Amino acid sequence: MPFNSLNYLLFLPIVYLVFHFAPERARWVVLIVASLFFYAFLEVPYLLAVLLLVALTSYGFGIWLDRARSARARRALLWGGVAANVTILVAMKYLPFLSENLRALAALLALDSQIQPVRAFVAIGVSYYVFQAISYLIDIYLELEKPERHLGYFALYLSFFPKMLQGPIERAGDLLPQLKKPYRFDYDNVRYGLLLFLLGLFKKVVLADRLGLYVDAVYNDVHSFTGLPLVLATYAYALQIYLDFSGYTDMALGAARLFDIKLTQNFNQPYLATSVADFWRRWHISFSRWILDYIFKPLQMQWRNWKNWGSAAALVAAFLVSGIWHGASWGFVVWGGLHGLYMAGSVFYRPYQKKLHKALGLEKTRLLRCWQVLVTFHLVCFAWIFFRTSTLADAVYVIRHFAVGAPPTSLTSLKVAIKPLFMSTGFGEFKVLLAAAFVLLIMNQLLCGLRSGSASLSAIPGYRRWISYYLLAVGVVFFGMYNSASSFIYLQF
Amino acid sequence: MELQEKLNEIFCQVFDDDDIRILPEMTANDVEGWDSLSHVNLIVAIESRFGIDFSQKELLTFKDVGDLLNCIRGKIAS
Repeated sequence: MPFNSLNYLLFLPIVYLVFHFAPERARWVVLIVASLFFYAFLEVPYLLAVLLLVALTSYGFGIWLDRARSARARRALLWGGVAANVTILVAMKYLPFLSENLRALAALLALDSQIQPVRAFVAIGVSYYVFQAISYLIDIYLELEKPERHLGYFALYLSFFPKMLQGPIERAGDLLPQLKKPYRFDYDNVRYGLLLFLLGLFKKVVLADRLGLYVDAVYNDVHSFTGLPLVLATYAYALQIYLDFSGYTDMALGAARLFDIKLTQNFNQPYLATSVADFWRRWHISFSRWILDYIFKPLQMQWRNWKNWGSAAALVAAFLVSGIWHGASWGFVVWGGLHGLYMAGSVFYRPYQKKLHKALGLEKTRLLRCWQVLVTFHLVCFAWIFFRTSTLADAVYVIRHFAVGAPPTSLTSLKVAIKPLFMSTGFGEFKVLLAAAFVLLIMNQLLCGLRSGSASLSAIPGYRRWISYYLLAVGVVFFGMYNSASSFIYLQF
Repeated sequence: MELQEKLNEIFCQVFDDDDIRILPEMTANDVEGWDSLSHVNLIVAIESRFGIDFSQKELLTFKDVGDLLNCIRGKIAS
């Protein structure tokens, strides 16, 4: 049941009303039944079995870990629990990729391969709740958390429907206490939740999907384009993926607010980052925290005697895992590897960077900040090429044909250069895009205090609130794109 | 010299700032330049200065300077 479907718009209020009027002790039952129904709606019966398997395995290992006394037994149980989760994830997501590459390797070495091609499973949501389960076990091992004894609450921690399919990837210590605390109706909370939900829907159906028209026109057939359209489609993709994923996240956070639950904020203006490391503090925050805490830091500490080389190697390894997590394809591996290399490079470059800025008299200037934002954005865009193209060959084609043709020197030549981009969609959609982007800027101004929690919705004058509601509602109703094929980009991971 | 003073010296060296005055309740947010990359230099400097070895679990659970001090104290005593 996608968040941008009519089914969900019926499902959410019904669940909310039942939850609201249910007695306190039955509320978790309402949420878990709703979450399982939501998952079953994908009509892939084995997914429910996978969820149950992950829940039971991690629940069991969590309790055994807590009971074990010797350090050796605890370590063995941690590795057992993590291995069980990783095995489930690999079986669901990576077998076709592994068998395909092993067969290719066997063919390359002229070996007689008996490896059969493997059919891919639908694995929606699995990467997200498996990562949550692993974080739960590690936190118990590190004695940061106690295991959850109530299987119902534990299953709900993994499967709470607003965040099950695409995160945020929640820590047990953040979400479980909220699921267990008594529900309190707060008008401001509900109102803010609905506004966030509407804003997220606006980002998705008015902006992201419309940008997708231009991106798809180029990226689904890259070999028909050269020069400026490739550059502009890459910028458009950077915006599309941000609006798509942050739109989804707003809808998830908004829906959870109805149930008096605050999920982790996944985004903080990522394209204003001044370095790639800063980008990862602002983009998909719940995921980057996971990668940092459970992959990067342990590896960095393990390799601490190699000094900078140890940190650099840990960064590359952590971001390769990050790439593979997104899916079984070489494009994601290269994307993750590039981010790892960017940051590994900065480990060595950093000491000189400060001196260089000082020598140029640019330290803490606005010019330097703008330059850093621009460079970071382009490094991130370059990596997005591998994320978006279907094959590595397509990505290489895009990179090699960015600079083909003379740069446009007049308005007429610019029009000619970008005309292929508008062939299938025309300029009408582009005008809607500009208007919607303007609305979004207004909304950002309005919501910046609300997001940080420093202001409440009631503090905003009524007329401004209502103008916002109407702008978003008109956008969603009249300019939303409701194509059944348009799912959220991050759903596939 | 007291343990906290010795540790303070290491902080000043690693973060290249003689004005740092550490307190048990201080965290990475209170010291300029204390991020995940410089943290590893701090740990390596502490290990070599006191001739101790931290375990992975200890390294991943330090929350503030106080945790670090207690752990070093425990290791030196044993």
